[in-house]
Amino acid sequence: MNRSSSGINIVPILIVAVVCIGGGLLISTLTPTLFPVQASSQAQQIDTLFQLMLAIGGGLFLLVQGLIYYAAFRFRVKDENDRSDGPPIHGNNTLEIVWTAIPAVVVVILVIYSYSVWVSIETPQQNETTVEVVGRRFAWTFTYTAEDIIDPQTNAPVRFNDPNLYTYVNEALRLQMTATDVNHAFWVPQMRIKQDLLVGRITEMRFTPILSTDTNGDGIYEMAEAFPLRCAELCGDGHGAMGLVSHVYVFGSREEYDNWFAQRVNLVLNPPEDPVARGAQILPTYPCSGCHVLTSLGWTGQSGPNLNGIGDRASRRVAGDSAEEYIVHSIRHPLRYLVPGYAGIMPQFIEDDPSNANYMSDADLIAITAYLCTQTASGDSACDISTIEEAAAEEVTTSGMASQ
Amino acid sequence: MASVVSLPVGELRKSDGKPIMLRDVLGWSVDHKVIGVQYALIALFFFIIGGSLAMLIRWELLTPALDLMANGAAYNTLFSIHGTVMIFLWVIPMSAAFGNYVVPLQLGAKDMAFPWLNAFAFWLIPPAGVLMLMGWFVGPAEAGWTSYPPLSTMFSPDGQTLWAISIHLLGLSSILGAINFIVTIANMRPEGMGWFQMPLFCWAILATSIIIVMATPFLAGGLTLLILDRVAGTAFFNPAEGGDVLLWQNVFWFYSHPAVYIMVLPAFGILSDVLSVHARKPIFGYRMIALSSIAIAVVGFTVWAHHMFTALAPQFRIPFMITSMIIAVPTGIKVFSWLGTIWGGKIRWTSAMLFGLGFLSMFVIGGISGVMLGSVPFDLHVHDTYFVVSHLHFVLYGGSVFGLYAGIYHWYPKVTGRMLDERMGKWHFALTYIGFFFTFFPMHMAGLAGMPRRIAVYAPEFQTWNVVISIASFVLGVSTFVLLYNMVWALRNGKVAGPNPWRALTLEWATSSPPPATNFVGDPVPFKDPYGYGTKEAAAYVEAVEARYGTPDDVAQSSKPAPAETAGD
Repeated sequence: MNRSSSGINIVPILIVAVVCIGGGLLISTLTPTLFPVQASSQAQQIDTLFQLMLAIGGGLFLLVQGLIYYAAFRFRVKDENDRSDGPPIHGNNTLEIVWTAIPAVVVVILVIYSYSVWVSIETPQQNETTVEVVGRRFAWTFTYTAEDIIDPQTNAPVRFNDPNLYTYVNEALRLQMTATDVNHAFWVPQMRIKQDLLVGRITEMRFTPILSTDTNGDGIYEMAEAFPLRCAELCGDGHGAMGLVSHVYVFGSREEYDNWFAQRVNLVLNPPEDPVARGAQILPTYPCSGCHVLTSLGWTGQSGPNLNGIGDRASRRVAGDSAEEYIVHSIRHPLRYLVPGYAGIMPQFIEDDPSNANYMSDADLIAITAYLCTQTASGDSACDISTIEEAAAEEVTTSGMASQ
Repeated sequence: MASVVSLPVGELRKSDGKPIMLRDVLGWSVDHKVIGVQYALIALFFFIIGGSLAMLIRWELLTPALDLMANGAAYNTLFSIHGTVMIFLWVIPMSAAFGNYVVPLQLGAKDMAFPWLNAFAFWLIPPAGVLMLMGWFVGPAEAGWTSYPPLSTMFSPDGQTLWAISIHLLGLSSILGAINFIVTIANMRPEGMGWFQMPLFCWAILATSIIIVMATPFLAGGLTLLILDRVAGTAFFNPAEGGDVLLWQNVFWFYSHPAVYIMVLPAFGILSDVLSVHARKPIFGYRMIALSSIAIAVVGFTVWAHHMFTALAPQFRIPFMITSMIIAVPTGIKVFSWLGTIWGGKIRWTSAMLFGLGFLSMFVIGGISGVMLGSVPFDLHVHDTYFVVSHLHFVLYGGSVFGLYAGIYHWYPKVTGRMLDERMGKWHFALTYIGFFFTFFPMHMAGLAGMPRRIAVYAPEFQTWNVVISIASFVLGVSTFVLLYNMVWALRNGKVAGPNPWRALTLEWATSSPPPATNFVGDPVPFKDPYGYGTKEAAAYVEAVEARYGTPDDVAQSSKPAPAETAGD
């Protein structure tokens, strides 16, 4: 037996050290298999930090559990008549200093390393693209701006909305976020990064995607392959569903992204003449899918009334309202009539303030109504385009029928 | 005695060495022992309520779709009330139960410093509990136990107001109780018991009480603003009218992070007593354990914003990371000191000891994941996910509740004069330990994989983890009833305990079980070291106690013809 001068047996200490360090490294190596893929450069750094903490934590876990189990079995006294006590040891200064100093050193290392990772993931990059994000119950709106293309109608750079986030590999992305009703949190597990959206404040987050969502390389960006966007701050009834409606699409190249972007800009500058076709193209840019079902657009929300076949039902909802009047009023004044069984949680889409997150121009309203009117069993539109324009011009208010 | 307790005129002392009966606990009493039992019973009642809500949560989460509950809001009420009840109506009152029953006895005192105030603090709890549950008649709180505005102010039903009033009352109860503990511990120690001869449970209650007195008023302030916003048209938290949504989060966590220590320090105290007594060995590093409680209490006030890393302005995140990680050091000291305590001891596998060891084993996991969460970059990934749900349950269930269970097995004989059944106790431990681990450990994986917390509807890829978690949680739920059955069964059928079944050195064991009305006959003399096991003097002290009050066998013999004759003469 190797005995040091102080009488401590070295061999078991070495065995424990090897088991704990080896076990910690094993835990640290195996755990990342549980993770979603690393889709951002931040994810790589955060995972490396986590693996370091897992190695230390895993080793500590094995050490403490091992000591507890060993002591519980090794020092157990079964004999009920045994009235003997353990040795009257009240402490050991050396040991106490050691187990104060070692955790203190480990903590200092973790703080310094975490800080360096933090600085690296937070520092603004050159050529960042800014996308504005609005969270509301229970949907996301991303607003993209084409800085160098002027919209002749508004005399401002072209802006367009989408419920999904589009980006491309190695784009330094900066999200500027706010919330309209309650707080939400933006989380893409594959990016390993999260930021709350706060009412009345603007928050920021940055990440750089490194992995395309076109996983099978067919050049088609499908929802099934895209990264899901989870809401991570409790926001009410549809909080779970809000984590299932929006996705992050990462294009494999700048060219693919630019193509997509140009198409969307073109849609703003040269909208289709046919209002139904226009409605079908702009409706997905509004945050309706978080709450409504509409199979023709792939919506699966649960918190609001089902919109399948709405063209057939719209004229029967409110006495005196034609189908187009009902749809128009339901968008401009959602609380005017509540479908039985649903709470009045739909935001009011307003026409007079383009900077408002809930702005909807009359042209968009007319196109959307025209599209929704075609949601009938027969496929024929339930409305007439000229009466839709009249309905959109009508002044109604939220009547006493609405209550929360 | 350092001080004398006088009874308010006209107040009747109920316990006179006979077990405390149901009729005693249903009425007003200023006896700290009756009040302790009252706290325990109401806490256990709400433990069952909170546990039932947890079972509903786990049942709903068996599938990714919404099936058990009518809608997401109904699900949100489950975890909101579950969290609130478990924290404010189970762990905190149950800790107060042990504090009330045990602290005066450990100090050799006849009662708490302010007996009437003690009773008043307790009687705030039943109306608060009723208010909390009445939420279901008006639409209960559904904004989580953290109740962030604007969700809790502008989008929650009236139950949210009842929720706030209820917690207001519970906070007041806590503050009054804590003042009482501080005064009692500071002034009523017997001669020969300096600060550093106090049992560590008293140290833990002292540290807890200091935190309560300092932190709970902040909760009261926050709740007042919340109630005003809800009912009086103010806009403290409404940005549209100049308020701020982060104000609540800061105030709330300034209380609620220290509240974690309010919930776990008493369990630390129980653990120190239980490990030393049942391992028959002195506490290793008594001063370090005592002082680390105070260190945790102080540093605990500087870490609150780590609950808000994803909302906080970026420049504030690093300072709070540093303070949060520092707190790992005093906590580590405690864990290693407890390991040093059991090392080389004569460990009895009593149910109390098993839960003590289980506490150590599970709490360490919560401590490790806590340090990980303290690291800002990693927290950005796992914040508000099941990783956090797992972490907090390892601390508050694996820590606090295991500690409270250990306390129940350890002190039940003192309270009732009967031992809990050890066989049932071991079943309870095995089911709890295994059920607990497999309920909460897989939550780490679900969180890392991308599952947010507080959702009823989740992506199908998380279902496997959730089924495992739910099945284990049902085992955990059942395990509770083994304890409850044992506690009822042992009242009549348990082995007679005698004054000192564990042959412990602290003063609560130097009197009959249950103790007489004034706790001790004459002034008790504390042993010089509350954990001085392994010496001849300690053995002699235990024998002297047994000679005076009888061994368990003596008491069992003499109690056959006329129960509890030996007590109180």
